[in-house]
Amino acid sequence: MEAIEHPPIFRLPAIFSDGYIPDHVTYTWLVMIILTGIAFVASRRMELVPRGAQNFLEVVLEQFQALIDDVIGPEGRPYLPLIATLGLFILTGNLLSLIPGFAGPTANLNTTAACALIVFVSYHAIGIRKQGLVNYFKHFMGPVPLLAPLMVPIELISHLARPLSLSLRLFGNMTGGHILLAIIFFLMGLDGLIGWALSGSKAGALVGGIGGLIMVVFTVGFLYPLKILVSVLQAFIFVMLTMLYIAGATEEAEHHHAEHH
Amino acid sequence: MSRSLMLALGAVFAFPGLSAAQGPAAATGGWVGPFAVIAAGIGMALAAGLCGLGQGRAVAAAVDAMARQPAAAARIQTAMIIGLALIESLAIYVLVVAMILLFVQPIKG
Repeated sequence: MEAIEHPPIFRLPAIFSDGYIPDHVTYTWLVMIILTGIAFVASRRMELVPRGAQNFLEVVLEQFQALIDDVIGPEGRPYLPLIATLGLFILTGNLLSLIPGFAGPTANLNTTAACALIVFVSYHAIGIRKQGLVNYFKHFMGPVPLLAPLMVPIELISHLARPLSLSLRLFGNMTGGHILLAIIFFLMGLDGLIGWALSGSKAGALVGGIGGLIMVVFTVGFLYPLKILVSVLQAFIFVMLTMLYIAGATEEAEHHHAEHH
Repeated sequence: MSRSLMLALGAVFAFPGLSAAQGPAAATGGWVGPFAVIAAGIGMALAAGLCGLGQGRAVAAAVDAMARQPAAAARIQTAMIIGLALIESLAIYVLVVAMILLFVQPIKG
């Protein structure tokens, strides 16, 4: 992958070995610093009538809370810290990669797999804590005991596929967008080279200038808005699926009981 | 004029070779590299086309439902976005496989 990626602006040297700390780790720390800074500024002087940063962060978190109320219901509010942290981290990481010279942490499979594993472990933990160990794994056997040999492998595979699809979706979307941008920039350089080679004649300036202008307009006018949209959408989808998994882990009990009585 | 034209042609023809030198073909050196490129291209094309068909059906049904019942538009839109993400992830799997074939190159031939 290094062949098509530009080196980021800053790299930190590794302490215990030669070379550098991997870029996605460095930029994960940057995202952490940004988010912690915003939270610190917003909560430093809390007021009853919020202003400035506190107001902004309250609006953002209220959106998350409304989403949780909509999907899980009011009993899902204890999971607001988990869901909002994941959402803000992924959104900031996605948007960070749009700044030229910055490497996005979410365009690396390690980061997204870590997020997906956190979701995987925590929704099972929430389900077990809500329903008890035996009761929770009883749902893996399906509604009828006769179907259990068929249902258990299907359920196991579908549950194990969840972190895989969560991590690969985010990683693929981000990396695909980066490859697209890299190819467009590569073409821009090629186009400039043709213009330079033909210079001395008016055709060179014409080809290079107009072609470069078209590329710049295409990138700034179409690709960047598209990437911003994809960044927000992927963060939303990650959070939405997390909430759906938690809702599925907590709700199944009532549904099951309703069937029996 | 002719020299600058040659330079331009050289730039055009040198660049694929240059990108191949740091990319797939030279790294493996065997016959797997070119086939990996072909497989990645054909696979991604198939996945993108079929995923587009599926997403088109989903969006058509969602827009139909929204037009019939504008009051439920918000909920339908949320469900549509989740469904689109699930359909799109199938194409994303192929993209990841294509990237693994091109850049990670697990099979050296």
